[in-house]
Amino acid sequence: MARYAMILDTRRCIGCHSCTVACKVHNDLPLEMIYNPVTTIGPTGVFPNVHMMNLPLLCMHCGNPPCVDACPTGASQQSPEGIVFIEEKKCISCKACIMACPYGARVPNHEKGTVQKCDFCKERVHVGKLPYCVQTCHQKARIFGDMEDETSEVYKLVNSSHPVRLLGELGTEPYAFYICESEVKL
Amino acid sequence: MDQKHDVWGWLLAVDIFLAGMGGGMLVIIGILDLFIGTGRTSLLGNLLAPVFIGIGASILILELGRPFQALRVFMNPKATLTIGAWFMSFAITFGFVYASFGIDMFFWSGWVFARKIFAVLCMVCGLVVASYPGVLLGRHKGRPFWNGPGMIILFLLSSLVTGVAAHILSGFVLPPSTLTDVLGTFPKLAAGLLTFQLLLWFGYILVKRSGGTSAEAIASQRWIKGDLSSIFQIGFLLLGTLLPLVLTLSSSQSTQAIGAALVLLGGIIMRILVIRGGEDRTWLPGEQKYRSRLPKGDETFLRAWNK
Amino acid sequence: MSKNIDLEQEGIQVKKSCCYFCHQNCGVLAYVKDGKVLDIEGDLDFPTNQGGLCSRGNIAMKHLDHPARVNYPLKRVGKRGAGEWQQISWEQALNEIAEKLSKIRDEFGAEAVATAGGTQRTDDWARRRFMNLFGSPNGFHNAHLCWIPTFMVETAIYGWCPFDLDLDNSRCLVLWGQNPGASGMPEIHHIMDLKAKGLKVIVIDPRYTETAAKADMWLPLRPGSDLALALAWLHVIIYEGLFDPEFVDEWCVGFGELADHVEQYSPEWAEPLTWLSADQIRESARMYAMNKPGNIQWGTSIDQIGKSAGAAMQARALIRAITGNLDAPGSDLLTGPSPDFVTDEEMEANDQLPDEQKAKQIGSDKFKMVTWPGYSRIAELTKEVWGKAPTAEWMCEAHPPSVFRAILTEKPYPVKALLVSATNPINSYGESKLTLEALKAVEFLVTCEYWLTPTAMLSDYVLPVAGALERPTITSSYGCADFLLASQRAIQPMYERRNDYNFWRDLGIRLGQGEMWPWETVEDAYYSKIAPLGYGVESYDEFVENYRYHFPEREYQKYKRIGFATPSKKVELYSSVLEELGYPPLPTYIGPSENEVDDPDLAKEYPLVLTTGGGFMPFHHSEHFQIKELRFIRHEPYMDINPATAAELSIKDGDWVWIETKRGRIKQKANLTQGIDPRVVYTQRGWWYPERDMREPELGGYLESNANVLTSVADDDCDPLSGAWANRGLLCKVYKVTDANEKEAK
Repeated sequence: MARYAMILDTRRCIGCHSCTVACKVHNDLPLEMIYNPVTTIGPTGVFPNVHMMNLPLLCMHCGNPPCVDACPTGASQQSPEGIVFIEEKKCISCKACIMACPYGARVPNHEKGTVQKCDFCKERVHVGKLPYCVQTCHQKARIFGDMEDETSEVYKLVNSSHPVRLLGELGTEPYAFYICESEVKL
Repeated sequence: MDQKHDVWGWLLAVDIFLAGMGGGMLVIIGILDLFIGTGRTSLLGNLLAPVFIGIGASILILELGRPFQALRVFMNPKATLTIGAWFMSFAITFGFVYASFGIDMFFWSGWVFARKIFAVLCMVCGLVVASYPGVLLGRHKGRPFWNGPGMIILFLLSSLVTGVAAHILSGFVLPPSTLTDVLGTFPKLAAGLLTFQLLLWFGYILVKRSGGTSAEAIASQRWIKGDLSSIFQIGFLLLGTLLPLVLTLSSSQSTQAIGAALVLLGGIIMRILVIRGGEDRTWLPGEQKYRSRLPKGDETFLRAWNK
Repeated sequence: MSKNIDLEQEGIQVKKSCCYFCHQNCGVLAYVKDGKVLDIEGDLDFPTNQGGLCSRGNIAMKHLDHPARVNYPLKRVGKRGAGEWQQISWEQALNEIAEKLSKIRDEFGAEAVATAGGTQRTDDWARRRFMNLFGSPNGFHNAHLCWIPTFMVETAIYGWCPFDLDLDNSRCLVLWGQNPGASGMPEIHHIMDLKAKGLKVIVIDPRYTETAAKADMWLPLRPGSDLALALAWLHVIIYEGLFDPEFVDEWCVGFGELADHVEQYSPEWAEPLTWLSADQIRESARMYAMNKPGNIQWGTSIDQIGKSAGAAMQARALIRAITGNLDAPGSDLLTGPSPDFVTDEEMEANDQLPDEQKAKQIGSDKFKMVTWPGYSRIAELTKEVWGKAPTAEWMCEAHPPSVFRAILTEKPYPVKALLVSATNPINSYGESKLTLEALKAVEFLVTCEYWLTPTAMLSDYVLPVAGALERPTITSSYGCADFLLASQRAIQPMYERRNDYNFWRDLGIRLGQGEMWPWETVEDAYYSKIAPLGYGVESYDEFVENYRYHFPEREYQKYKRIGFATPSKKVELYSSVLEELGYPPLPTYIGPSENEVDDPDLAKEYPLVLTTGGGFMPFHHSEHFQIKELRFIRHEPYMDINPATAAELSIKDGDWVWIETKRGRIKQKANLTQGIDPRVVYTQRGWWYPERDMREPELGGYLESNANVLTSVADDDCDPLSGAWANRGLLCKVYKVTDANEKEAK
């Protein structure tokens, strides 16, 4: 069984917002719903000795997802491949999962009265395509793959590039791994 | 694109206030019946306890995106909300059953053993209903103001003190059947709980300020100097806690009643503040600036070119 | 959308289209059924973008049928700018326009008809062909700001201008005022790959851009001081012996003169002009010169610095030349025009424009490099060596501000009609107020557009143009590269939109040019371009479907076989062509258009240095402000200011501020950032508010936040070689917007 994961290479991300727009357009999301913002840290320091980093975000598809536990209806689920998703017909938008997610990865759809989130474009992934945000990234700052496959790029990078996990101290075990320049602490 | 709509709002605050108060009332009903004696609480109070919980739960339904499917909330035993929902249902049922023992027209009103059983059930369910919002919020690892066990005690305490206050007010309207000095004991109980509440809140903010993470320290600032501070300090600590503490200690019953009403005011203020205090997640790096530059929702371009 | 669309369903065709929202033209696959596009995605097999699409590329479906698109020919019926239109047929529109143009030609001469274009997003050769056959030399673009002066100056020096970089074999890349991190996604991807393998990257930019943040070295120079920096680099490279002696000996003329000439331009001399330390200048020059082979990638910033632009291009070209980084493996390659396919220039019918009409080209008396005097000399030289000339549309144009002035003053002669295609001059040409006056004053204004822009709103006719997915595209770097990438249309134009090619052709036919327009469709014309490649295809679409692109085998150091396309057949460090045209043959220092050294009084009133014009995601020039899916990312204009300066001016992050130059003021919001010198501010370009009332006088808030209100097109501020005007390095002041000062008339 696969275990999907994403590597976010902040050394490559330039903050162009392509992933945000691709996701929004292809998932047909209302404007206020953003699955995968890209934030910018900096420029930090004092001119001209400055540093800047972009942080592409998304659902972390946690190994220990607090949102799934928080969902009273069972709409929030995790597939055997690790994809955290919402079974829309069961969701009543109580927002417990929104509040429970430490990453802000869940957003209410006020039109539908449900909560929605990134599902790694699972329909695409199941037919062998890449998630939209990954395919659209010119910079290849988003790398998607199967952690169970030792030949995959994600497996190799996770085991060679010392990636960090966002808010790892919370014990959520994110499967989004961030590669940063060595001097940067997240 | 106002992010405020993305988090829990004041309806939830009202729900947990009413349900908490109802839960607190049930706890008191149970304890009094089991350990002090019968008829110490007003029938009105006994009836209002499950009614409050019921109204609270109904208000919560309004907050849902799909209110007509609210029953789905009972489905995930791992979720605090599911547990809360079950216990609220039990509490409402048991509360009404218990209250019915105080109505002579029911033939079972004299069944003491049965009443005692329901007093136990009311006490247990009331306790869960009174404290589960604290469990719910305290489990939010990414919400620095809530995170930790402290919320459980604060909610339990506030539920109890509002429960006591509600009983006092109910007693005013419809005095308890057997014992008349309940209004004399309850205000003292309330005063004790209020003292405890005052101390705990000071402690809670202090711990958050010097807290485990910088996010907790930042979150506490909203209460000390920030946007929540004046309502918190004047509305809750002063008007909702300290003032009723003094008033309930007075010998005048009407002053005590005013104190009790203020306690309820304090209780609702606290719920609203706590819910608002949890709006802030532990922000990811750069996230606040990113969100601050998104449209707020009233921009002209958002309305233009709609087909 | 796509989530709900089954792309595997029967009857779906996959069309090899491209993105048309900038001229990178990234490969796109369009899923088409029954003449409708259902969805698009990046083409994984396309050589440049490899499946990637930037934010703009992703909104193609939103753009295709946006409610604000112009879909039918419109004729003005009310007052100009009143927004009262009558929908008419193409037949009627073309007949009436042709009739009017013909009348103007009879009365005032063909030169009284001018055309304006924007970024290469149209079939420019077709417009040129029309104008040549019509008899007017007064076509122009924003070419002057967009690398065309660089092309011509470099071609004067070494016979072509590098389009192609051999980055895979390079060791050092200089990005001179270029920010591919916000404007050239396929490029920055490549750069980051190579940087990981050891490529050194130097970014020269007043701003700490997306690209600067990834560089090995960032040189935050004073905006507009590029010439001083380039001269100092020449000094370092020559006097530290870092040049390539063999290449200089064998293939350059004028090295001695150059060495003598730049002796005065030491790094210490440049220090106060560039605001860089002498050490920074030395170190950076060494990094480029000592990491051979190296590249200085194309970029347009120097085209926008005004007065010193031409000399700066010249100096920069010489840096490349004396280090031998020309057409050698790993360096900047001189592809020359393609010998294999029909180039844009060959489609333009430049020989059809009589010499006496060429002589009337507005601005050609003042600025010779990108007008007929310089172009014809350079074309002559390149034809001798390469057999072909650079594209004339772009490289040989009327001087736009001078045309606008001619409209207003009738000097040197009246200009009565302006046909605008793919541009919104009020926002994208310099000194918006002048442009605006001209657009209001011109007797006859026609606009080919996607949207009702402020310019379109002032027009007599607005014609709906086909956009991305509705047109075939050949990408060949302004028609000047030896490679091409080809894309097909996914669908026929929707509603009554037409390709701009067909506009010019249909108009031409009505004006008696019938015989000269044998190709009925764009595909027919394109087929005639690619047929000589010998792929044995029967149609253009067949070429796209089976081959998609043509990259000839790379030949390094072609000069060894054919020489450089200059009079001496060598690199002319001392340029005889420039000298012939009356310009300094060696790059000579002149200060930026406005600066604190030459004009301290002005600097007292306007103490900050302004830079404008840099691209920023998710917009492109003045486009896409209607696309909500892009707009939400940056829905308001922001200018960059250092926190120290902001504090002095009591400006907080997010405050609305006025930015004011001698020419006017605009307001944008303050973005406090350490990524900019405390003496410099940067404003975003392109801003207008299409969501507002588009009628006069509001016209979509066209002057409110528009950076070009601040820029200068005064002849004195323009580059004497090319006429490029000043977008950068101007003096300004910044102050907070208050209720009181908002009411002041300015």
